[in-house]
Amino acid sequence: MTLDLTLKALAVTSDRGRRLLDVDRLEVPAGSLIGVRGPSGAGKSTLLYALAGLLEGLTGSVHWGDTDLAALTPGARAVFRARRIGLIFQDFLLFDELGALGNASLAAQFRPRKDRTDIVARAASHLSRLGVPVDRRTVATFSGGERQRVAIARALANDAGILLADEPTASLHREAADQLIEDLVALAREGGKTMVAVSHDGALLARMDRVLTVEDGRLVSDARAEAA
Amino acid sequence: MRDIWLSLPSGAQDALILALFLVPALAIGVALLRGVAPFPLVSAILWRFRWANTMFVALIAISVGMGIGLVAQERGLRAGTAQAADKFDLVVTAPGSELTMLFATVFLQPQDVPLLGGAAFERVASHENVEIAAPLAFGDSYRSAPVVGTIESFARHLSDNRIEGRMWRSSGEAIAGALSELEIGAVFTPAHGHGSALEEGAHAGTEIEVVGRMAPTGTPWDRSILVPVETVWETHGLANGHAPSDAGRIGPPFDPDHFPGTPAIVVRADELWANYALRSEFTRDGETMAFFPGTVLSNLYIVMGDVRQAMSIMALVTQGLVAASVLLGLFILSRLFRRQIALLRALGASSRFVLAVMWSYGTALLATGATLGLGVGYAATAILSRIVTERTDIVVSASLGWSEFHLVAGFLSVTTILSLLPVLAQRRQSVVGGLRA
Repeated sequence: MTLDLTLKALAVTSDRGRRLLDVDRLEVPAGSLIGVRGPSGAGKSTLLYALAGLLEGLTGSVHWGDTDLAALTPGARAVFRARRIGLIFQDFLLFDELGALGNASLAAQFRPRKDRTDIVARAASHLSRLGVPVDRRTVATFSGGERQRVAIARALANDAGILLADEPTASLHREAADQLIEDLVALAREGGKTMVAVSHDGALLARMDRVLTVEDGRLVSDARAEAA
Repeated sequence: MRDIWLSLPSGAQDALILALFLVPALAIGVALLRGVAPFPLVSAILWRFRWANTMFVALIAISVGMGIGLVAQERGLRAGTAQAADKFDLVVTAPGSELTMLFATVFLQPQDVPLLGGAAFERVASHENVEIAAPLAFGDSYRSAPVVGTIESFARHLSDNRIEGRMWRSSGEAIAGALSELEIGAVFTPAHGHGSALEEGAHAGTEIEVVGRMAPTGTPWDRSILVPVETVWETHGLANGHAPSDAGRIGPPFDPDHFPGTPAIVVRADELWANYALRSEFTRDGETMAFFPGTVLSNLYIVMGDVRQAMSIMALVTQGLVAASVLLGLFILSRLFRRQIALLRALGASSRFVLAVMWSYGTALLATGATLGLGVGYAATAILSRIVTERTDIVVSASLGWSEFHLVAGFLSVTTILSLLPVLAQRRQSVVGGLRA
């Protein structure tokens, strides 16, 4: 199940008191694909982490549906992430000692017993859909493209309605990046997911419904993809 | 409650104490692992750092093994020496050092000792509560094995009457100990003295035939050769303890006037209580001294106990240091794993799950090391026991007792609790900071 996103008066301040992000209002209807771009250090990743409920000490509200992440304890946010959010990182962040399925179904180790079979089954089906071989090899031997596919399968294994991706193609060469964009967008659309992808990659941004531009911690533009 | 506890057999008490020691570790394990299944990750970490892990496990095993080996060995030594003294209820000698006389009689270590005369022996032997009064005449040897003159009833007492072949019937016959190189039927000539003070040929012409063999006793006496005390006296050109009219007699009674002297008398009383009366009776200024070898040994154990405590403390300190280094390793590792830990939190794992992963990993190392440590301790004890037995002929048997298991369980519980600290220390770290690390 996917959820609408509503940010109100969101402000994130660094430990040293510097204002990192300041968003008056942002609304994203469920099922939209949103790109976020902007210069390095502008606050794109901070926005993404705020949406994931990974930041402490933010003010304002981050509503996914009826849930305000800003009002939850860290433990409750973790539970929300485990159920609702799939995360994809620039450098994949896989456990090199585990195989493709072990990584993709990582959540089975900490989710309740009743969910484990489903998680493993979904992880396996996404891996096969993404063309990643499920064998005895650990992911240490995989190419970058394969590794990011495993990460996508991991993000989808909990059947989350929300996908948050931080520079998903930045570590890949062009060909692999294009292939990955195809797969990611297709999976998000098919599953009716809400996706927020921070990226410099024009090819990825071009496939989004909307592209937000962040500069100096502020949303300076909110454009349809065609206009970007 | 106390009554119930005291009514339990000691094995059950020890088992309960063991369980009690393990309760904290088990409780933590249950609390952390309830509802999660972190084993793929744990085994992945174990595999990833397999060389460092092997080192950790080896360090723990060696330190634990040293600690319990020390305790077990000391207990084995005490049991072995006490067992060796078991047959020597009360020993009467000329006044001097009890310890010297203990070594001379029970452990057959060559010592220069004064002799007791016929009158002293007579007084002991004729006492109404004395069942056996056996003279022990040592000083001769055959190829480093002591040749000891005594009487038949002591030979039977010493071997629990398990003698192969037959008992001696006349002077010039001998009973060999179980480990003696002399077989039944062998004939030998004893040498005067022992070791470096040996005078070969002093007894040339004396020939003694081995007619029997004692069953093993687990004491230095297994190497000895027992002969009638008369044989020792005759070999030295002395009277043989009997009046000329009774010259062919072997064994008691002895004639005080023809009694050349004996360095020690082993006394066995007819009743246990009588031993104490006999001891005070036979302890006379300037004449005789009586002592319980068991008491002398336990005094020795008290001294040894202090040494043991010092050594136990050193072993504990070693274990503590190893545990500290393992914890430091875990701390470094959880820093190394900061990103992975942050990733787990980002993916929605609870902090309990992260704790469960790191704790399971640390506990796997500690438990493996401690278990192997039991094996190392057992092996060390077995090897040391064999060396001690070979050198002293006191049978020291290697065995692990409850206290060793308690020690290991206690070590495991304490360290496994401490192994939570490195992870707890980092629990408050920001997930995003970890992801960017």
